[in-house]
Amino acid sequence: MKAVTWAGVNRLSVEDVPEPQILNDHDVILKVRRTTTCGSDLHLLSGYVPFMRAGDVIGHEFMGEVVEVGKGVREREVGDRVVVASFVSCGTCWYCRNEMFSLCDNSNPNPGITEGLWGQSVGGCIGYSHALGGYAGSHAEYVRVPYADVGSFVVPDGVSDDRALFASDAASTAFTGVDLGGVQAGDTVAVWGAGGVGQMAARLSAIVGAERVVVIDRLPERLEQARTYAGAQTIDYTTTDVAAELRELTGGRGPDVCIEAVGMEAHSPGPQGVYDQVKQQLRLQTDRPAAVREAVMACRKGGSVFTLGVFASMVDKFPLGALMNKGLTLRGAQVHGPRYIPRLLELMERDELVTEHLATHVMPLSEAPRGYELFKEKQDGCVRAVFTP
Amino acid sequence: MANPLLSRAADVGGALLGRLQDLRLPGVGTASAKDDPARAARRWRVVTVLLPADRVDPGDLPAPLAALGDRIEVRVTPAPADKGTEVAARYRTAPSEEDIGRLRAALRASKQLLETGEVLRMDPRPHGERAQTPAGRLLDGVVANAKKEGVL
Repeated sequence: MKAVTWAGVNRLSVEDVPEPQILNDHDVILKVRRTTTCGSDLHLLSGYVPFMRAGDVIGHEFMGEVVEVGKGVREREVGDRVVVASFVSCGTCWYCRNEMFSLCDNSNPNPGITEGLWGQSVGGCIGYSHALGGYAGSHAEYVRVPYADVGSFVVPDGVSDDRALFASDAASTAFTGVDLGGVQAGDTVAVWGAGGVGQMAARLSAIVGAERVVVIDRLPERLEQARTYAGAQTIDYTTTDVAAELRELTGGRGPDVCIEAVGMEAHSPGPQGVYDQVKQQLRLQTDRPAAVREAVMACRKGGSVFTLGVFASMVDKFPLGALMNKGLTLRGAQVHGPRYIPRLLELMERDELVTEHLATHVMPLSEAPRGYELFKEKQDGCVRAVFTP
Repeated sequence: MANPLLSRAADVGGALLGRLQDLRLPGVGTASAKDDPARAARRWRVVTVLLPADRVDPGDLPAPLAALGDRIEVRVTPAPADKGTEVAARYRTAPSEEDIGRLRAALRASKQLLETGEVLRMDPRPHGERAQTPAGRLLDGVVANAKKEGVL
């Protein structure tokens, strides 16, 4: 079958690879119908997550049709049209039973790597490096889905492939931040990053009752989408002082909840950006945390800051004093997909949550390297490239 | 003919995770780097399984732990609150690093068997051309040892 593989730093390839097999009783094999780029893929592509092997199939945000079922699968059958959570979850460990699915104890077959990095192993993720299990990814004609009863969800007839696709990761990641970040009715929420996850966080904040949502980015086409589809106010950080604007918008208080949806390759203008770039390139810090710093400083006293963007390890010049003295709550998480996907599909079915506009570039799998180039360089207004294997 | 540089890279990768156990760097997970080696080797290695204690029989251990036979002692105790049952194991006599790695892997596999009924299998898996570079072979070595290393 055709698949998109990581061939080295900033090199992708489309190769013929063997088809996946049922390896455990709880597996299904999916014929992929839609699979999309995610901002976190760029960290793999750029070599910031040094656990990629040449030949690894990438891709973790996808949906498709069940074509083969393991003998232990109870809830899925051949022909089901499903969307799949990007993180793999066993459904039976304490973390899964408590709906912290991305922290699954049993789904990462390489625990020694992340225990060394973070002190504990987290769950595995499809198509996201050997640190998170080494699962073959979804940018392929077929993909193996372990623990399918836990991580796959039948798409209602009224929800199109193009819409359901983003329940897999972008919208469910966003819901993780909105929910665990504690967004409540009447809140003002600021979201750093107007990519797929940031836009979904803005829209979902409004759905759960936020009175005002502000989205911060530098790309006009993404800010326009945030205004149009999420009803958000927007700030272009290249022309506007973000903290000053947020103070003015919030009566001097600052946002109640700040959601960071940018991650380890944050851009920032001025000396801070240069500092972070130099330190990251010299491997003196692994991640560039400009958006998190800004969120901590802008957040109202006693407010909540949630990191949704992917970070790998170490950051420098973190405003811990502001965090402590302002009484902030700082949380982060990878996506707890099965906790949120069922509700997202309901919202999608009722047209309360639309996602199709994120798919600015739809193309066959064979053109994936070009899709990633457009996505990485933000060319031609690309928000997400979606592949149709 | 095997490239000795590439073989060496895989060996180094395999040893790398183990060497991390000896470092004391901020943010690097270590099993027991501050302990003297004898104490570190004697520590109980513990996993918590989400089952009541009466469902975890020390006399009828899952196969990966049972395979270590009388070389290990096993302790089963209820975990606090709703957390399940703690399964701890250690060698009766001074183990080698390889022994400890085998015990880590056995505990992890046993937890999976008790909680999910299966041990997750990963191979064969689809992949493209595996370029035989030193960095790639280094990662191969890391992955090959990832079940046997870590903080457990």
